[in-house]
Amino acid sequence: MQKTKVVLMAAVCLGAAFRSTAAGSQTARDENVLVVEGARILPITSPPIERGVMVVKGGKIVAVGEQGKVEIPPGATVKDAAGKIVMPGIVDSHSHIGIDPNPTVSDSQDANEGSGPIQPALRALDAIDPADPNIRMATAGGITTANIMPGSGNVMGGQTAYVKLRGTTIEQMLIPGTIGGMKMANGTNPKNYGSREQAPMTRMATAALARGIFAKAQDYKAKWDAYNKAVTANDKTAKAPDRDLGLEAVGQILDGKRVVHNHTHRADDVMTVLRLADEFHYRVVVHHGTESCDVADELAKRHIGVTFTMIDAPGGKPETINFSISCPARLEKAGVKVAFNTDDPITNSRLLLRSAALAVRGGMSEDAAMKGLTIYPAEMLDLQGRVGSLERGKDADFIVLSGPPLSVYTHVLETWIEGGKVFDRSNPVDLRYATGGFNVISRYPQPQGGGQ
Amino acid sequence: MSVLAVVALSQAENYAVVADHLYTMDADPQGGPGLVLIRDGKIEDVRAGADIKVPKGYQVIHGAYVTPGLIDAYTSTGVSGAYNIPADQDQDESTDPNTADVNVRDSLNPEDLLYQYVNAYGVTTLQVTPGPRNPIAGTAGIFKTAGPNSPFRTVDQLTLKLNSAMVFNLGDTPKEVYGSKHKAPVTRMKTAEMIREALLQATQYQERWDKWKLEKSDPAKRPTLDTKLAALAGVASGKTPAIFNVYRADDIDTAIRIGTEFHLKYMLASVTEGYLIRDKIRQAGVPCLVGAITQPFENLQTANATYENAELLQQAGIPIAIMTGYEGYVPKSRVLLFETAIAVANGLGMEPALRAMTISAAKILGIDDKIGSLAKGKDADVVVFDGDPFEYTSHVEQVLVQGAVTYQKRQ
Repeated sequence: MQKTKVVLMAAVCLGAAFRSTAAGSQTARDENVLVVEGARILPITSPPIERGVMVVKGGKIVAVGEQGKVEIPPGATVKDAAGKIVMPGIVDSHSHIGIDPNPTVSDSQDANEGSGPIQPALRALDAIDPADPNIRMATAGGITTANIMPGSGNVMGGQTAYVKLRGTTIEQMLIPGTIGGMKMANGTNPKNYGSREQAPMTRMATAALARGIFAKAQDYKAKWDAYNKAVTANDKTAKAPDRDLGLEAVGQILDGKRVVHNHTHRADDVMTVLRLADEFHYRVVVHHGTESCDVADELAKRHIGVTFTMIDAPGGKPETINFSISCPARLEKAGVKVAFNTDDPITNSRLLLRSAALAVRGGMSEDAAMKGLTIYPAEMLDLQGRVGSLERGKDADFIVLSGPPLSVYTHVLETWIEGGKVFDRSNPVDLRYATGGFNVISRYPQPQGGGQ
Repeated sequence: MSVLAVVALSQAENYAVVADHLYTMDADPQGGPGLVLIRDGKIEDVRAGADIKVPKGYQVIHGAYVTPGLIDAYTSTGVSGAYNIPADQDQDESTDPNTADVNVRDSLNPEDLLYQYVNAYGVTTLQVTPGPRNPIAGTAGIFKTAGPNSPFRTVDQLTLKLNSAMVFNLGDTPKEVYGSKHKAPVTRMKTAEMIREALLQATQYQERWDKWKLEKSDPAKRPTLDTKLAALAGVASGKTPAIFNVYRADDIDTAIRIGTEFHLKYMLASVTEGYLIRDKIRQAGVPCLVGAITQPFENLQTANATYENAELLQQAGIPIAIMTGYEGYVPKSRVLLFETAIAVANGLGMEPALRAMTISAAKILGIDDKIGSLAKGKDADVVVFDGDPFEYTSHVEQVLVQGAVTYQKRQ
């Protein structure tokens, strides 16, 4: 990933003239020193710094502190951010950008492999289109890291991809050293197989299918463990079991190397998720968790977090009928860590700050809401060592805001990933990814007052 | 919904609503301190100024921001239920592309969760419309979201205006629905042709009846009754407004072409690409009900949605209202306040935004004699906020419909 030129392509119908003006998206990460100075810095894992300084080198944060107390290296490029707010890039722990591209037409929808309910060998990265405009829109919303997942139509939907929102290939997007999580789902969606008289038709079968694959993986692992032991013991007669790519991936769950990301809404479905995780001793994150607040104590005692999807209203299907903006506040009170996700396209990636703000409207503390955009989702993806806060040694993923993060009036002005700028609202093309209308820039009327 | 109290918490009382920032949306200056007096479900008086004495005999409500009840100018909430299962979906009679004879009144379920949910976000009046699937979709109506007759309100108790408009859907959806069944319309051409033909038939139908009445009404020569043509005759004659639900600029253009050709009284709904054809809309003098902007980019016709649409249309001098429209999945409804808030954050001023949700919507829908502003004699539909109405972290504290508290935030 060294010296990767960061170019987010304008995906659809942009005229050549506009491509060449997307300068804001082309800043390369390099070894030059960048200093962001004067902003109110929100490191998240430590108290806000009223007039802060952040020093970035080689894509990493090398210092964060108060103005005047941080040494500014000679020759550094100094960026005056006085009057602005700087916070970590947002971590979206549940997204379908790139795999359900914009616009939603059937040819390009690749999230749900509806040919069978157990698909552990699938890798989301084989279906992600880095040119999807939704990715650029997500950077306009301040998102820098995402967990791109298969959909919820399957009991086990496939391996998820942990990515940074930069680059023109999935290889450039993937976070080095990560293998992603495993998408699972229960409740309504996998039951769709029932309409074709295939399993699962019931919640019972959904759980049984999940148990079945974990049991199989235990068996597979036992065979390989025996084989490896025999090899170590110099047993020449030992025969390697046949490889199974799906069971290898499930084995990584049992080994604790791969986290299960489980779509679930109803409280009893959340309990089924916990029951399976208890039974097979794996790490799990509850996704959506519409009624998770009703079993908050069960989550708290297991230290299992919820990544919540903040929708506008209840319903759309029976299992979301008890949706409330107060659920994150109730989880917080019970001691459960709550992250916010877009589930893009269910909520738009430009509005993830809004999700946290609405949780505050519902009674959550601002502190928990801000952590729910940053460090908590980073923890859920095992990425807390690299992203989710502004600390020395972490990736220089940050966003510059025009005002308080949870205000409707605040705009994301700039988004930076590993020291490279990927979104700049002052750039006329980038602006249209923030507002919409990027396909029709040449015809877009000029708003009076500039639309800023 | 633990945060909701959906029944009227009290019968209509006499209230004095004291506001730090009063937005009457009437002629007077907006946003200053003031007082609204409510008696017998109506606005009795409005007084501006910081040092107003509250007269005796009124229960006092204090609010940081006070506005008229909000109007969602076009939505399927109430006919398209929260569960989204066949049992509660009554918005689209997609068995026939022309269902001019259906009326939302006969589908409306005031007990639906979402119908009451939106009240808690300040919406006191909805224009309830058929869904997006039929080229000629049926008749809309305007209803209150709650009222002093709670707990159970019949549709008649909630009705503000029946037969408010006939809905016509253009664009992707009708042709996808019927095209997939190898039925007309398969193309946009056919959608337009079917609407034209129906309007022509309706005109001729009316002429037959007018002629018969004129010719001394000989019972032997009485024309045949046709409920579809009868419903469309009102549209063709300009008595019933037409609403064209349109997204792409060329579909907007088609709506204007048909509206002009048949001299309709009409308006546009959704209008996603309205900003790209705003000069034509202004020249045609057509009001716009501006659609939701937080929806996913579900199909090609909404790919160019912009947060600036409402502002760009308003700048062009086009009368605008805000609408939430129809939702096919999760979430099953949008929140009018949030949709408008994003428009405000993207250039639409606070006052124009409030106007679009209140008095402008009322004028466009022809109900400004009853609602839309806090003016003497109008329905006492009032929303009380604890802060800037558009700020995400503000709360709706109380909602009053016709002088009854229909929502009260729990402490």
